[in-house]
Amino acid sequence: MKTIAVIFGSRSAEHDVSIVTAIASIIKPLELSGRYKVEPVYIAKDGSWYWDQKLKDIKLFQSGDIADFINRAPKTHILFDEGLTLVKSSPFAGRKMYRKIDIVFPATHGTHGEDGELMGILEMAGVPYVGCGVVASAIAMDKVLAKQVTKAENIPSTPWVWFKSSELASRPEKALQAVSGLKYPLFVKPAHLGSSIGITKVDSKDQLMNALEVAAHYDDKVIVEQGVDNLVEVTLPIMGNDSLKPAMLEQPLTKPEDFFDFETKYMQGGKKGKSGAKQGAQGYSKIPADLSKELYQKAEKLGLDVYRALGCEGIARVDMLIDSKTKEVYFNEVNPLPGGLYAHNWREAGLSAVELVTRLVDLALERHQHKQKYTTTFSTNYLKQF
Amino acid sequence: MIGALLSFYKPSFPKTIVYMLQSTEYKTGPYLKWFWRTNDFSKVSKRRQLDQTRAAKLLLLALSTGMAVQAIVGLILLGSGINGELSSGVEFGLAIFLSYPIVWAHLVVVPLELGRNLIIKPKQKKLINNSQDIFTKHQAIKIAVAGSYGKTSMKELLVTVLGEGKKVAATPANRNVASSHAEFAKKLKGDEDILIIEYGEGKPGDVEGFTATTHPDMAIVTGVAPAHLDEYESTDQAAKDIFSVSKDLKPENVFVNKDSARAGKFIKPGLQTYSADGVMGWKVGNVKLSIDGTSFKLSKGRQSLQLKSGLLGKHQIGPLALAAALAHKFGMTKNQIEKAITKTGPFEHRMKPRALHGAWIIDDTYNGNIEGIKAGLELLKTLPAKRKVYISPGLVGQGDENEEVHKEMGALIAKTSPDEVVLMNNSVTDFIKQGLSQGKFNKKLTIQKDPLYFYQNLDQFVAAGDLVLMQNDWPDIYN
Repeated sequence: MKTIAVIFGSRSAEHDVSIVTAIASIIKPLELSGRYKVEPVYIAKDGSWYWDQKLKDIKLFQSGDIADFINRAPKTHILFDEGLTLVKSSPFAGRKMYRKIDIVFPATHGTHGEDGELMGILEMAGVPYVGCGVVASAIAMDKVLAKQVTKAENIPSTPWVWFKSSELASRPEKALQAVSGLKYPLFVKPAHLGSSIGITKVDSKDQLMNALEVAAHYDDKVIVEQGVDNLVEVTLPIMGNDSLKPAMLEQPLTKPEDFFDFETKYMQGGKKGKSGAKQGAQGYSKIPADLSKELYQKAEKLGLDVYRALGCEGIARVDMLIDSKTKEVYFNEVNPLPGGLYAHNWREAGLSAVELVTRLVDLALERHQHKQKYTTTFSTNYLKQF
Repeated sequence: MIGALLSFYKPSFPKTIVYMLQSTEYKTGPYLKWFWRTNDFSKVSKRRQLDQTRAAKLLLLALSTGMAVQAIVGLILLGSGINGELSSGVEFGLAIFLSYPIVWAHLVVVPLELGRNLIIKPKQKKLINNSQDIFTKHQAIKIAVAGSYGKTSMKELLVTVLGEGKKVAATPANRNVASSHAEFAKKLKGDEDILIIEYGEGKPGDVEGFTATTHPDMAIVTGVAPAHLDEYESTDQAAKDIFSVSKDLKPENVFVNKDSARAGKFIKPGLQTYSADGVMGWKVGNVKLSIDGTSFKLSKGRQSLQLKSGLLGKHQIGPLALAAALAHKFGMTKNQIEKAITKTGPFEHRMKPRALHGAWIIDDTYNGNIEGIKAGLELLKTLPAKRKVYISPGLVGQGDENEEVHKEMGALIAKTSPDEVVLMNNSVTDFIKQGLSQGKFNKKLTIQKDPLYFYQNLDQFVAAGDLVLMQNDWPDIYN
């Protein structure tokens, strides 16, 4: 039986979302598949790594006992020993415990994980891992880079500008000047965060500076995007390496005056100020999106184009904006590790939670096998000549 | 090996013993057989947990106290031996201490046996004798429902349909042995038009005994299949017992399910039969099956009934037709019958559909025979779905026919060819797999090691558009 390490938590504003994704949407179905031994690896908010079977229990985190656990548990180290090996001190006579990992399932959201940093470690270890690679993760998690790449591929977006957070402090007038070319309402976002953290909808100029400061508080890059009239928001989870499989276009049930912030998305069952949604991000939307067949196909194609353009692999989710009158579809952003894997959407598309995780693992193995074909070393006389 | 030995001394051991007793309905024989074939007592409760009834709590308290006292006495003797206060104290003390789990696992049956033989049985015998008198004197039409399967469903169906126009009383739930009949008789008011009595055969002579006590005017034999073969020598012996219900009845008052192949050879000339084709001259036509239920037309000469039921599957047409025909025979109107049939629907764990994340789960876990498996698989084949999944641990109580029945089951599944088959890892799994292989099943096969965990997390295995049929149950006593 292969051993899978599910890595979650991390130094990210989305640390708590990651815990839920890992425990509810990845570890449980992986274990139910009966195909893998699952090792939970938790990266605490201070960046320390822990590996223990107790970390599979959501109650440990919900109760706050995780703080006590961190105080007592030995930290985990990793070895690049023909792959990836977890190491920690055993309670018996100072011996070390080792666990060779066959596959890694990253479950981190946001910074220091979903943004390619974790994937870099895994690439160095030469261990197969689920989801997008280093480059695609880094681009996807940088909203500015993602817009630049998709623009080069002629994929339409609404008008946007960006600044470094440091520029906002030193030359705020330059930022305001750049934004003046955009039509309100605007959306001000930290460039690297997901789960709608730090995002502000700005309806007039007097709100702008405050929104920019909020975004700059979270990130070193800030992007300002023009809103879309007659807005229909849709999102499309996609799976695959070379051959792509879209799930179903999902339509958040928000009115134009609302938009998703973290509170709405995860804490209020999805719909701001309204009840009836079931739980978390799963209860706030309509699947499939309420679109004409033609518009549905157009949005689905754009989603697949974005996935390819960014070089996504394994799984990702592409968010798009639609002007329902002009029927124009715009790329908004990409999420290389959708919260909860968007299992609710995949289930609607005919894929159970167990099938979803096992297929993602298969895709990881397929990519890893494919990579082995490439030559990574080259013999030269260079050293002898030196 | 060491782990298994240590399981005797785990704090959970007394609870496990009470759980085993409860699961065997406090019957000494099956309990002791189970106890002696169990290696590791920490792995007994796989399917369910101890139901904390008053009796179970009392027994647990008595057992724990007894064990604790013996263990303490053993330790005291051991201490005395070590201190030199008692010669052979060490050996004697150790023997007393170490043997406490085994001693009390056996001693616990003594009060149960005493209670059963000195109190319960005489009381039940008196009650049963009294019930014979009640049944004999009661003016109602008494309908006995016997068979290896489908009895409770048939009884409930009759209660619903006949109850629309008549005053009907029936034995409750699946309580179908002599003592239950006697309790039922005691509660009768005397003004009932129809009594429906379910006969639960468990060992040779049971049905004959029930018939002698309850004096039925009519009988329904719902079918014959291998069941209770730990008590009956063969299915034929069980069938003979079941058909003994017809011994003192006029043949025209006995209705046998013709859809049950194994019942065929016991249908003597003159007995009435019912099936998906019709009953008592009523013909079935225009059948429609869906996840919402079953509808068909029942016609006889110029009369016709348009029937729509929430019950699922073609195998329900025969019982529905019989219930409607009997209602007509007892003078109920067309409107009453049609209305009554619409009130019929699936019972808990018997072909009961429920929606789960856009999938349909048909719960047929109370089914426990090969005929029920056939009926379920036929339904699975009939209903449309994106993906079809069949789940079963196999059948218990199949005795000498165990291997044959499970190979047949495997072949039937292969013939239906669902997209995925999920089996539970137990003693019959290999037989089912052989049947699947003989039937050239080439779709996905999964073997689950932890049934309880699997059933509790079924939502993780299904997706929108799935049709999942769950059949049979595998109680822990069969592990």
